Formats: sequence, structure tokens, C-alpha cells
Amino acid sequence: MKTYAPTGLPAWEARGLLRHTPPESVPITFRLSTLGARFGAQTLDILITYGGVLLAIIGLTWAGAFSWNGLITFYALLTFFMRVPYYILSELVWNGRTLGKRMVGIRVISLDGRRLTPHQIVARNLMKEVEVFLPLATLFGASTMDIWLGGALSAWMIATLLVPVFSKLNQRLGDMVAGTMVVDNPRPVLLPDLSAQAAARGYEFRAEHLDIYGRYELQTLEAILREPPKSPEARKRVSEVAQTIRKRISYDEDLPESREWDFLLEFYRQQREYLESRHLFGDARENKFHAATGGQG
Amino acid sequence: MTPAAPAPAPAVDPIRSARFRAEREAGWLRLDVLLRKAERDGTAALGYDEALELASLYRQAMNALSVARAISMDKALLTYLDALCARAYLVVYAPQESLRGLIGRLLVQGIPQAVRRSLPALLIGALAMVLGAVLGAVLFDVDHSWFYTFVPGGLADGRTPDASAAYLRSTLFDGGPGDHDGLGSFATFLFSHNTQIAILTFALGVFLTLPSFVLTFYNGLVLGAFWQMFASKGLGYELAGWLSIHGVTEIAAICIACAGGAQLGLAVLLPGDETRRDALRSRGRDAVKLMILAGLMLVCAAVLEGFFRQIVQTTEIRLAVGWGMGALWFAWLALAGREARA
Repeated sequence: MKTYAPTGLPAWEARGLLRHTPPESVPITFRLSTLGARFGAQTLDILITYGGVLLAIIGLTWAGAFSWNGLITFYALLTFFMRVPYYILSELVWNGRTLGKRMVGIRVISLDGRRLTPHQIVARNLMKEVEVFLPLATLFGASTMDIWLGGALSAWMIATLLVPVFSKLNQRLGDMVAGTMVVDNPRPVLLPDLSAQAAARGYEFRAEHLDIYGRYELQTLEAILREPPKSPEARKRVSEVAQTIRKRISYDEDLPESREWDFLLEFYRQQREYLESRHLFGDARENKFHAATGGQG
Repeated sequence: MTPAAPAPAPAVDPIRSARFRAEREAGWLRLDVLLRKAERDGTAALGYDEALELASLYRQAMNALSVARAISMDKALLTYLDALCARAYLVVYAPQESLRGLIGRLLVQGIPQAVRRSLPALLIGALAMVLGAVLGAVLFDVDHSWFYTFVPGGLADGRTPDASAAYLRSTLFDGGPGDHDGLGSFATFLFSHNTQIAILTFALGVFLTLPSFVLTFYNGLVLGAFWQMFASKGLGYELAGWLSIHGVTEIAAICIACAGGAQLGLAVLLPGDETRRDALRSRGRDAVKLMILAGLMLVCAAVLEGFFRQIVQTTEIRLAVGWGMGALWFAWLALAGREARA
């Protein structure tokens, strides 16, 4: 598993993207969850489980169903089942998502591109005991410890907590044992095709106009066109873009302000058609420096 | 796949990649609908035709993604297809075993086979416990004050070397001055306490086996000191009964958890021909099964401890139940899931 930098993506955007190869051998992309999201999901899970136990206890006390002694037994049993078994069962049933993970929108996937096996789920959640619950428990019991034991324990605690920060795929120890990682739930959003919006607007670009830019500039323009300007400042920025492009490609016609948006849409369509057909002929143009680097195709 | 209705009269011909998209968009949207349904209600909610359709649409979407990467520069389209395929992949490649089948297989084959494979690690676990117990007993004989070092105050519950033989006897059998409630809560405490010890023992094993060994050894120390204390008051036989009824199961469970931890530690210490990470992964399989077994045994022990020890009051029957359980565990682990030899 390598971190995946799709061509033409700036480094900051490509960070945390993973190429995952399913059995169909078409690589798909997942985004690694941030540590913040995982921490949030974990906190939610703890709140849900312990909150549930607490509610059950309060309910039973209120109903007077058990003696005090029975309540203690019941509490011990509940906390036992609310810890490791809860995580294992929920990740088994919901394919790598606990309730907390569902709310935050993250999930566990297997590193090898295959389905999550029950073994992986059990292994990563057993290790959770030592990585999450033990530090928590020692935190609460810390006041009764002498300084050496406390120091040693906190050093070890900090070390375990730092593992996911420094591991390449943000894996914690349990993930490493199980061969899993945590990614964001993919959310597909189908946006309209910009090239279909461009009806003939009277601009005709010739090959020398379209030879300048490459894929990166085209997709940047796409990002701009996806958000029609609403404020005067945004309109000014768009106009700047249009005039810059006009100058750069030496398009000799005058460009009044009212027609700048049409110009950009039309330029996008023709530029895309041109680049795509160049690409089919083996002439891949990653960005505007394609001529200087001699073309990569 | 039927081509979508033509886009609202563009005055120009759509470019190649736009046509590619228009031809397939209906299929993607249909896939999206199926995915939504499967994600909300589970794959079991899909009908036979829908399941077939899902599989075929998933392959088509994968194919489209592959082609789109080659012919399209529409970033929005590429991102969409990528996410759609990822989502479909997660639905199509979800675990398909039923929970019941999973548990059945684990009980009949998985656990017994794993136990038989990890005899050396089990030996380490048992050794830690026995060594600890022997050392605890010997140290207690040398100096009674060792007891206070080993046994935490909450666990001892008044049963210290200074207590009278009569009081100690009363803690073993009900009906004496030692009240039932105290013992009951002690039993639950011990249960949750020992469960945590077992989980800890396992999870700590990854740090080179040593913490597992030390924890089990310490458990042995407590046991040894306890035993020797009762024995010195002439209550050794009765204690054996009191402990056996659940202890055979419980102590075996802790040894097994230690063995699971030892498996992980051994993988790090002696990875053999594999890299350490691979060794950890492959031996983790058995270790995890050992841990599930330990958890199962602990639950059984808790039931025995919580109910039967209070009901059964004669030492002979306690011994019989305890070691009978032990024999059952042994028979299961030694005999179940053996491959039939031709």
C-alpha cells in the first residue's frame, strides 16, 4: 500500500489519499481519516456505551428491580459486554463501523483490498483495550500511584498514543496487528458536466490558442467555473482570470466584461476536447510546462 | 444500458467524454439507489434481481472509472466515479458470513485448533502461574508479612494471616459470621478484576512477552500466598474446594490469555523467516482465538463463582464440579475439530 499522489494534484491535496486495489484491479481512492475524526468517534463510542450502562442502571434502580448487590453484579457484567464485545459486534454487523464511527462518517477497511475478516475486527479491538481503556483507567487511578510507577505508566501511555501520529497510515497498534486502516466514508456527488452547458457562444479557438495549457490549468479552471461569482470581488477575480487567459493565449478579439463568463465556459469546453484528444494520441500534457519538458508522451 | 435522453439541445456536439458520461449516467444513478438501500437496510434487504443488478452495475462502474481515467479530464466526474466505486466496493465486499455460522466455526474448529498449535506459548503461561504460586507459598512460609506485599487490601477482604482460623473458615462456607453479601460482591469484583487482568495480559504481550509473563507470575504469587495462608491454619483442603469450583476454569483462562500474549511477544522476539510485522499478523490469528477462549472461560468461571459456589457447600462436590469442568474444557480443546485422517 502506497500513499497515492494522483498526477496533477498539488501536494497538499494529495496528502492522505490512498490507492486501494480491489480484486477488480481498478485502483480506487480512499481518504485517510484525520486523527481528530477518529478521536471524536472514539469519544462518542465511550459516551454511548457508558451512557447506556448508566441509563440502564438508573432505570433499574428506579424500578427497584435489584438489590444493591445485584446492581453491582449487573454493572460488572454490563461494563464487560460494553467494552470489547460492543466494538467487535458493531464492526462485524456494520462492516467496520461502530455507532460513533457512523456518526463521524469514518470506517475501517482492510489493507489488502479484500473484505474485512472477523479476525481482523477482533484483533484490532482487543488491542484497543491496552491503547484506549487502560490509559483511561490509569488516568483515573493515577492519584494512588507512586511517582516511579506513575511516570513509567504515563511514558508508556504517551508512547502508545503517539504511535498513530507517527505511523504512515495513522495506524494504531491494533491496526498494525490486524492489517487494517481507518478511512473516511466515500461520499459521491455527481456534478453536472460543464462542457454540456456551453452552447455555441461565438468563440472559436484555434490549435495555437489551445496548445498553451495542460491538464492542471484545465482542472483549475473547472474548479472556478463550478462556483459562479456572487459578490463583486468574486466577479472581479473571474474577470482577472478571463483577461489573463485571453492575454496568455493571445486571443486577439476584444473581451467585454459581460461576456467573460461565456468566454471561460467556451474556452473550457474546447480546451478539454483538445487536451482529451491529444491525450488519446499519446500526448499527455500535465500542465503548462509540457512544451518545456518536451512532453511526457 | 439505454442511452440517456439527449441533453437540452446543445447547439454544439457534445465532446467525446461528455457522450461517454451521458451514456452511462443512468446506470451510475441506479447503482447509487441500490447502494443507498443496501447501506440503510443491509444487503439482505436486496431482492435476488437487485443483488444481481448491484454486482453487474458495480463492475460496470469500475470499468467506467478505468476508461474515464484514460479519456476524461473532467475532474468532477473522476472524483464522483472514484467515490461511487469505493462505496460500491464497500457494499459488495462486506463480510458475508452469518454471525451464527461464524461462531459455530470458531467453536468447533477455530479455537481447539489454535490451542493445539500454540502449546509452547501455553507452557510459558502455565509456567508463569506455577512459578509464581510456588514462590508466593515459599515466601509466605519464610515471612508472613510478604502476604501484605502481594495481596491488595481490597482483594484480601479481612482474610489476612492475623485472622482467626474460624473467620477464615466462615469465608469459605456460607452461614458463618462472614455475610453472604460481602462474598457476593467479592466474587463480582474478582470477576471483573480477573477479566481485566486477562485482557491486559493478552494485550501487553505485544511488548515482548515480558509484561504478560510478569502479570501472570504476579497472579500466581497472590494465589500461592493465599493458599499457604489457609494451609497454615489447616484449611488447605477446604480452600482447594472453594477455589476449584471456579478457579480451575478461571486460572486456566488467565494462563491461556498469557499464552495469547506470549504468542504476540514471540512473534516480535523470534519472527523466523518473516518480517516482524508479518509474523505479528500471522501469529495474531491464533493469539486472538486464545483470547476469545479465555474470555469465554472467564464468563463460565463467573457463573460458577457467582451461583454454584454459594449453592454447593460441601468441599467434595465443589472439587468434583471444578475439576469436572476442567476435564470438559480439556476434552473439548484436545478433541474437537480434528481433521479426519484417511
